This record gives sequence, structure tokens and C-alpha cells, in this order.
Amino acid sequence: MIQLIATPDRPMFERQLAHMFRERKRVFVDRLGWEVPVVDGEFEIDQFDTEDAVYLLSLDAAGVQLGSVRLLPSMRPTLLSEVFPHLCERGVPTGQDVWEITRICTLGSGPEALAVRKRLMIGMVEFALLNGIKRFTLVAHLPYLSRLLAVGWDCEPLGLPQPHGDQLVGAMVINVTPDTLIHLRQRAGVQGPLLRWEVRDAA
Amino acid sequence: MFDDVEQFVKVANRATKMDELSDLLNGAVETFGFDHVALVHHVNLHAPNAASQALQYITYPDALRAEMKSRRQLGDDPVLIAVQSSAAAFLWTDLPRIIDMNPRRTAILNAAMACGISDGFTVPVNVPGEFLGSCSFALRAGREVKRAMLPAAQYVGCFAFEAVRRIRQIGDTIRVKEARPTLTGRQYDCLVLAAQGRSDWHIAQLLGISRETVHQHIETAKRRYQVASRTQLVVRALFDSQITFAEVLAPRPSPD
Repeated sequence: MIQLIATPDRPMFERQLAHMFRERKRVFVDRLGWEVPVVDGEFEIDQFDTEDAVYLLSLDAAGVQLGSVRLLPSMRPTLLSEVFPHLCERGVPTGQDVWEITRICTLGSGPEALAVRKRLMIGMVEFALLNGIKRFTLVAHLPYLSRLLAVGWDCEPLGLPQPHGDQLVGAMVINVTPDTLIHLRQRAGVQGPLLRWEVRDAA
Repeated sequence: MFDDVEQFVKVANRATKMDELSDLLNGAVETFGFDHVALVHHVNLHAPNAASQALQYITYPDALRAEMKSRRQLGDDPVLIAVQSSAAAFLWTDLPRIIDMNPRRTAILNAAMACGISDGFTVPVNVPGEFLGSCSFALRAGREVKRAMLPAAQYVGCFAFEAVRRIRQIGDTIRVKEARPTLTGRQYDCLVLAAQGRSDWHIAQLLGISRETVHQHIETAKRRYQVASRTQLVVRALFDSQITFAEVLAPRPSPD
């Protein structure tokens, strides 16, 4: 199951979000050695974890968190627009129907992690189709590009890769159509919708 | 140059047959300043069941292909060894900076050069749970690598490899399921501890179960993997990422 946490829902999910920021610190800072801010010594939270951010959490049947991702609307500041605009040969794609994917974080390793990633991607595509999003953008480290493509979605580069630290990074766009969802579900062996969200009565 | 990359990716993403893709790839090799390409999964070509699923598309000169075939073990190939230790793409002339070039590895690289190759550029492709792969571009003798082309070549390698995975349906759910037996938590614990080199007695102490039970767990895991020895079990489990090097090499705290 993929839990959608939009801004108004956050108070309901404080514990899960804290866990997510802690896992992000473990994965991106401790394991991958990224130089990103750490808050209170245990949470990886940066300038894009704002009110605009929407989070998807991959949960197992018992509610244990297996992975997470952050989505940002391109009409607001994004990693691509603020930090990596030079990666886009023809300008940073923006618009109501363009959102950015950042901080894909999965626990475990090997095929489990790939399976979690595939389910997160399906959740993102469901989110996109429900909200009229036609394109996702993201910044990829080149060594991880193969596993990103292995999800099986329609991904194209936005410009040639450029050095960042001691690695190359490149900007990608992912085109989302209803066929994308059918295709990803087939490839991952997933039948029904994965995305779940809370509906609250207006107070 | 980005226009060429963009065009390549658009066509590769829609290719439905291997022929289409190989034509496209051969064109790209020329566009980006190379002469030959090898899109491969790293398996021992002499092991028939491994080779049946493995990907091999090679346009190296005949002499080099013959040389590769004549080597019984691909395991010594410095390019393939470097792919195991480097996630980033590399030039063959930079190999000494990435791996220890012992005389045997140097001889293999020299043999390739003797077949009319001046240099190569290899893009590692690592999809968890699948064979390690790579896309290498090679240059014939007398030609020089155009460094400005290397970022584009990396994209060509990654997108071409993914196009082949898609066309050949590598990694689709059914195959992964077939390939990978399910283990219970306890079987998994025993397997990791056994892979760390611990005896049944020691594992029994750590897990608080009897030695006989440990033995049964390992035997069941062997049956599920259809292998006869513990060594084969560990190798297979590492290969399909049932267990990871991190767990085996860094002893974890004993479960309570």
C-alpha cells in the first residue's frame, strides 16, 4: 500500500514522517554519503521539505515503512529549478502538469528494494493520473540510472549529464499516461490501485 | 550533440525488436565517435544455463571475439573486474587507477589492443537481482577517444541496455519469482550466519535453537535452491541478493 500524505494530512502522520526523515538520513547521509543538511543529528530535512511537498510512503500489511518519496509541484521551487537548472538543455520543465520526484528512499537491498521502488513508482503514477500530472522530472546520479530505468517507465534525458562532486548527474523527464500505469502494474504483477489517502471532514 | 542523444533515446524507448535496436545502436556507435560496441551480461559463457538468459550483443573485430572465446574464464578480464568495483563509467586506459592491474590482467588488455583496439569506454549496468551488465564502446587502432562524447555515450549505454531488458522481458515479475526461492526468517538467519563461516553449533548458540534445527534450516534452504553443498547455497543466495555482502562481511548483532 502507498500512503499519500498531502500538506493538510501531516498532523495525522507525524510519527510516520519523523520515521521517514530518519530513514532518509540513514540512506542518503550515512550510506550514500550525500552532503545534505541533517536536523537535530537524526533527520534529513532540506529546503524543499516545505508546505508544498507531498510524500508517498510504501507500507507493508502491518504498516511498517518500506520506502518513501517526495513530490514537489514545479510551479514552486524544486531541486531542478534551484540547484540543477543547468542540467536542462531546453530549460526546466514547469507547469501545473509537471511535478518533481526527489528522495526516492528504499529500505533493504537487491530485488526487495527494486520491488519497493516499483510500487512507489506505481503510487506516483496513480497520484499523477488523479491530479492531471503529465510529466515528472528528476535528477539522477548516473551510476543509479540503470536501476531507475529498470522500473520500466517512459523516461528521457533533459540534457547531457554534468559533474556534481565526483559523480555525474543528469536530469530526466518521465512521461505519464494511463498506459504507463497499466504497463507498470503488469510488469510489477500488481493488480489494483495502491494509493491510499485520508479524507477528512471539513471542521 | 544532445539532439542525437534525445533522438536515440526516443527510438530506443519504442523499439520492439532486437534488430531495430542493434541497427540503432550501431548508428549511435558511429555518431558518438566509436567503432565497436559490446552490450553484455557478465556470465561465464561456458556455463550453458547461465548463458541462455544472458544478453550478448558484440560487434568487436573477429580477432578480438576469437580471443575472448579462447579464454576459458572471463573472470580475469580487467574490464569485467572493474565493472564489479566501479559504479561509474571508465576508460580502459584508466583501468590501472580503478583496479590492480596484475600481469595476467595486463596481458588480457594487451591482447585486446593487439586485435586492433586503441581504447574503450565501459558503462556499468547494475540492476539489483540480475546479472551485472555493461555496455562497452571500443575504438580501433589509430583513433583517439573524444572525451566530449563520453557523457552522451553513458546515456546511450544505459538506455540501450534498458531497451534490451524490455524487449527480452528480463526482470519481469514471473522470472524473478522463478529464479528466487522463498526462505523463512529462521532459514535466512541460519544462512547469513553460515555464510559468515559459523558452525552449526555456533549458530545454534546465537539463535537459541538446537544444532539439529540449524542443520534442518540449512538443508531446507539447500533443497529450495536445488543445490548440494553449503558453498553453492551461499553463492546462489549472494547472487540473487537473498543475502548481501554487507550482512556476510560485517557480522551483525546476534538476534534476541
